[in-house]
Amino acid sequence: MTDITRRAVMLGTTAALAAPAILASTARAAETIRIGVTSPQTGAAAESGKYMRDGIKLALDAINAKGGVLGRKLETVVADDQTTNPGSVLAFSKLAADPSMVAFIGSIRSTQVQAMAPSVLKVAKPMMIGGTDPKLTHQGNPWLFRCRPNDTYSAKTIAAYGTQVMGHKKIALIYSTDAFGTGGHDALTAELKALGITPVLSLGYANQQADFTPMVLQIRASGADLITSYFTYETDLGVFAKQLRQLGVQTPWLGSPSIVDTVALKLAGPALYGTYGVADFTVDANPQAKAYAAEYQKQFKVVPDNQSSWAFDAVNILAMAIATAKSTDPKAIRAAILAIQGYKGTEGTYDFDKNGDGLHGYSVVQNKAGKIDFIKYVSFPKA
Amino acid sequence: MLAILPQLIYTGLGIGAIYALCSLGFVLLIRAANVVNFAQGQFSMLGAYIMLVLLVGVGVPYWAAFLLAVILMAGFGVVFAGAVYWPLRHRSQLAVIISTIGASILLPNVVLATYGPSPATVPGLFANPGFMVGPIFVDTQYLSVMVITVAMVVLQYVIFEKTLLGKKLQATSQDKEMASMLGISVAAMVLITFAYSAILGALAGVLVAPILFVSVGMGGTLALKAFAANIIGGYGNIPGAILGGLIIGLAETLGAAYISTPYKDAFGFLILLLVLLVRPRGLFGELIAEKA
Repeated sequence: MTDITRRAVMLGTTAALAAPAILASTARAAETIRIGVTSPQTGAAAESGKYMRDGIKLALDAINAKGGVLGRKLETVVADDQTTNPGSVLAFSKLAADPSMVAFIGSIRSTQVQAMAPSVLKVAKPMMIGGTDPKLTHQGNPWLFRCRPNDTYSAKTIAAYGTQVMGHKKIALIYSTDAFGTGGHDALTAELKALGITPVLSLGYANQQADFTPMVLQIRASGADLITSYFTYETDLGVFAKQLRQLGVQTPWLGSPSIVDTVALKLAGPALYGTYGVADFTVDANPQAKAYAAEYQKQFKVVPDNQSSWAFDAVNILAMAIATAKSTDPKAIRAAILAIQGYKGTEGTYDFDKNGDGLHGYSVVQNKAGKIDFIKYVSFPKA
Repeated sequence: MLAILPQLIYTGLGIGAIYALCSLGFVLLIRAANVVNFAQGQFSMLGAYIMLVLLVGVGVPYWAAFLLAVILMAGFGVVFAGAVYWPLRHRSQLAVIISTIGASILLPNVVLATYGPSPATVPGLFANPGFMVGPIFVDTQYLSVMVITVAMVVLQYVIFEKTLLGKKLQATSQDKEMASMLGISVAAMVLITFAYSAILGALAGVLVAPILFVSVGMGGTLALKAFAANIIGGYGNIPGAILGGLIIGLAETLGAAYISTPYKDAFGFLILLLVLLVRPRGLFGELIAEKA
């Protein structure tokens, strides 16, 4: 008897405690359009996760200040992905369990997007992503939409700019042997081959190297006139850059985006002066990026980089798609995203292709005494 | 490709000296406390971070930051001994090993949570990064590591073989009960050992920081090679650890230059395997037989 009473009391209390929350969430769902965001709040990328959320906040505030979308305010719900694959899947499941969620903004890390992709397919709602592994949008998952140019285009840009504009023919390539670096190596080798060039030297390295002297000496001996690179970690890039200069190699260097990463610039300092890189977000690349950077700097007191710009674009694209679809039905939003052509975002001009890739080019930039100068935006016809 | 050989040898010895310095701390704990400390690399990481915070955060002058980091780490070694080793001192060696593995996971994550993931840089001991000697670029930081490693080896040898303290330390390692019956304070010996081992770790960390940068992952990179160096040279043998470190440094550098860059890290471990197959007790290994 006592047991039943106790249980009844427990149930009653739980219900009483939960009721306002449930009621409130139903009420809120009726008035706002909810977007789920998986973002690193803990773990190795905790710092860059904050940039991402700040970028989202800027876009959200601007949209809501103008009255929101379809007469409803936009709202984001953030779940911590812990900078790990299992964490991302868990965060996504948590968000997706709420049926009022209309769309999602996922990760800038390809491996985490890859981990979440099967769940996204099951939930069948759009997810905006920033991971640049070309495969993500090419494996038949119709719900992934990319707000950064994929790595095929970084390879295309490096190959085209390095050989045709800079005029180099003897290319050395150094790359990390992880998934990102190998992908870059394969893509760049293929692009160079299409231009009739075989690299004079192709050197892989395992992440977290203590010393790059053997690689530097081989590059020096190879007679290469252009160094190209796909470095994953800033520390590796920094060690390589310093040893390259110490051992007297002044060969021009055109690298993947990590070469203009803020941390890499800080670590390597003068060793990177004069080098070229490809970058998806550069403040001076277009008026949208300029305006975004000014606003971001005003609010958060730091210069934004690509950790936040793609997420800013993602919110705007979702809002635009929901507005043109005049509905929050996932299929209608999907069709509306794919129909977006010529939208000028901070990362460049979005022309969505059938795979869900919005961007098809990179900016070439140069490190001038630590300052990143925009040179030119190289774009390619969409797939 | 033969033209680059002198440079490769210099760099190989330099990087080898780093492994050697790091493995000295390992050897010390094995000899004096019979502890395999898997958190040894994290001593280097912590030392480097302390120096970074003092130098960049607080604004302490370079040499003061360098010395303070090493001294503070000696204190940390004592705390470490009290928390990680002391409660388990009567248990099997395995329990202590697991405990140090736990610490090696905890420490980088504490640094990650407090300092953040962003790697940072500290300047080298000398403003001049290096100079040319014939075809060789002599990196002053590598040179400093080599000189300091040699100095520490000599110091360690003198302490262990020529002083009463060293004899007490060795006696404690070989038989704690007997040592305490002879009036040696076992607790004091163990604490001294941990403090000194932390000093060696910290020294490796602050010396390597200008080369490898200060990052949460730096301890792991160093410790694995240092441990392998210790096995190659002979478990718990001081000259062996030095030779082991130099062999790994050279094998990696030459292997990467002449055979394959992606397998650079594998060459050191390949030698480890060969040594284990051909001479399982290591190049100078006699200590285990001594103890048995």
